[in-house]
Amino acid sequence: MADLSQLLINGLAIGSVYALAAIGFVIVYSATGVVNFAAGQFVMFGTFAGVAMLINARLPWPSGYGAALAAMALFGALFFFVVYLPLRKSPIVTIIVATVAVGITMQNVALLTFGSWPFRLPSPVEGWTVTIAGTVVPAHFVAVIVVTAVMVGLLWLLFYRTPVGIGMRAVAQDIQAARLMGLKVNRLLALSWILAALLAGVAGLMLGPIWFADVNMGDPIALKAFAATIIGGFGSLPGAIVGGMFVGLSEVLGASYVSSAYKDLISFGIMIGFLLVRPQGVFGERIQDRG
Amino acid sequence: MRVPFLITAVIVSAGVLLSLVLPDYHLRLLNLSVVSAIAVIGLNFAFGYAGLISLGHAAFVGMGAYGLAILTTRMGWSPWRAMLVATTATAAFAGLIGLPLLRLKGHYLALATLGLNVSFYIVAANWIDLTGGTNGISRIPELTIAGRAIAGERPFLWFGLAVLAAITIVAFMIHTSRYGRAMIAVRDDETAAAMSGIDVTMTKIAAFVLSAVCAAIAGCLFACHVRFVAPEDFSYAHSITYLAMLIVGGESTIVGAILGAAVLTFLPEWLRFLGSAYLAFFGLMMLAILVFLPSGIAGLGRYLPRLRSPTRAAPASVSAKELGP
Repeated sequence: MADLSQLLINGLAIGSVYALAAIGFVIVYSATGVVNFAAGQFVMFGTFAGVAMLINARLPWPSGYGAALAAMALFGALFFFVVYLPLRKSPIVTIIVATVAVGITMQNVALLTFGSWPFRLPSPVEGWTVTIAGTVVPAHFVAVIVVTAVMVGLLWLLFYRTPVGIGMRAVAQDIQAARLMGLKVNRLLALSWILAALLAGVAGLMLGPIWFADVNMGDPIALKAFAATIIGGFGSLPGAIVGGMFVGLSEVLGASYVSSAYKDLISFGIMIGFLLVRPQGVFGERIQDRG
Repeated sequence: MRVPFLITAVIVSAGVLLSLVLPDYHLRLLNLSVVSAIAVIGLNFAFGYAGLISLGHAAFVGMGAYGLAILTTRMGWSPWRAMLVATTATAAFAGLIGLPLLRLKGHYLALATLGLNVSFYIVAANWIDLTGGTNGISRIPELTIAGRAIAGERPFLWFGLAVLAAITIVAFMIHTSRYGRAMIAVRDDETAAAMSGIDVTMTKIAAFVLSAVCAAIAGCLFACHVRFVAPEDFSYAHSITYLAMLIVGGESTIVGAILGAAVLTFLPEWLRFLGSAYLAFFGLMMLAILVFLPSGIAGLGRYLPRLRSPTRAAPASVSAKELGP
């Protein structure tokens, strides 16, 4: 029993990271229609922004995290100007290939800057443990789950209680109508990219102490985030959260109860199953052929 | 039909000419370009003509390669017979999986095929009894013609060019046939295509199976050329490379598929002077091509003085997106 609760916490912590990556992916997708294949590299950049600030610049963690997130926000804006704006009218496949190409560049810039040796990014609650229902778990895992819950709450406030967030939803729903209503569409689109980069930054900072910071970590995260989005429902924020948790849990539980070699096959098998039987996922958009 | 034959002849003779002057290492790259070109011509049926976004093309290449590798090394079959069976099996698999999968569109299909490719990789890397796991399968026999092995880079290139030429001609013939037109019609407007009596589902599956056949042939050639297969060569990153080759070369053109395969295979080589930064530039260069050359290298042909005969230019093109052969 103790094993199971430990596994559940592990799974939820990993799932939280996937959920945040998936939320960033979904925000960009709903606002701009871009299927961002560099989403995993965004998370990798988040982790390495942490490495740069906390390990290389030796900042204490509050200012280090702040600086890392500021760098991620800047990167999101850069991505908006350099990748999204020039390609916003291109067909979906061109954008997919373009984001993959930029992902290759991001990965290799990180490789050139930080080298191929993995880093251990410390956690602010390094070494602390928490006892839950008789099980000792690292405090970091619990912190990850709490931070994710807080992030989701803040996102909800942003999207439903602030004019900016409502504007972003309007742009996601109908860009022409939003423009006619006098919304600053480009500014809101840029904000979607910045928000996605920030979420990826948070995911990356939290993932650093769980996995090692490795320049190749982007692709597996992107694949998990895609699976999470499909299972939860493409374009749906609650779906991204549920999907992320599901993928995280199936990975951790599958590895210990089924087979560690085939653990990833479980989430991808379920993803394909969802695509075949219920492509809109648990909470997804109604149209299947958008984009 | 004269123009396609002309283009095929130009490509083959360019290849043969290069085979006589280039050093072995470049011949190896040229061989890899030929193999990729065959796979990308296949992808062109699915994506370029029928508009099916497939991010799982490398899985079909892998099935062909692994099929040949397993049949030759475990069962002792001749590579020719193994190639036939592996290609047929891959085509059958594509047809079976296509039936439910191709109901999906756009990014849903993209992610489903991506999932297929990732699943293929996981199985190939972990089903050690059959596939040798990440160690792969080595000692794949060479192809032989009349008792002589096609060994070494130069003979293999000649053979590869012959296969490429044959596939190019068949692809041109399909392109100009009613089946090719049906695929393009389905891509441009499914409802209108169905209205004019085209069986949309069958057309999509046919395009998907055709793409898998070319992919499997490319995979078999790859296995016989490198004589070693491992899951790494068929990861989803390769699927995206095939797609990138097609888009860089010029989407929905056969010449574009061949040019794109050659350019993207050689590009890392040309960027070698950048040292370890070359992959970072590779990504940026791809982005620049996508932004500034949206119709690919083949699209540059429009700026050339009119080489085409007037009879070909005259009929209304099937689609505004078509760029000719």
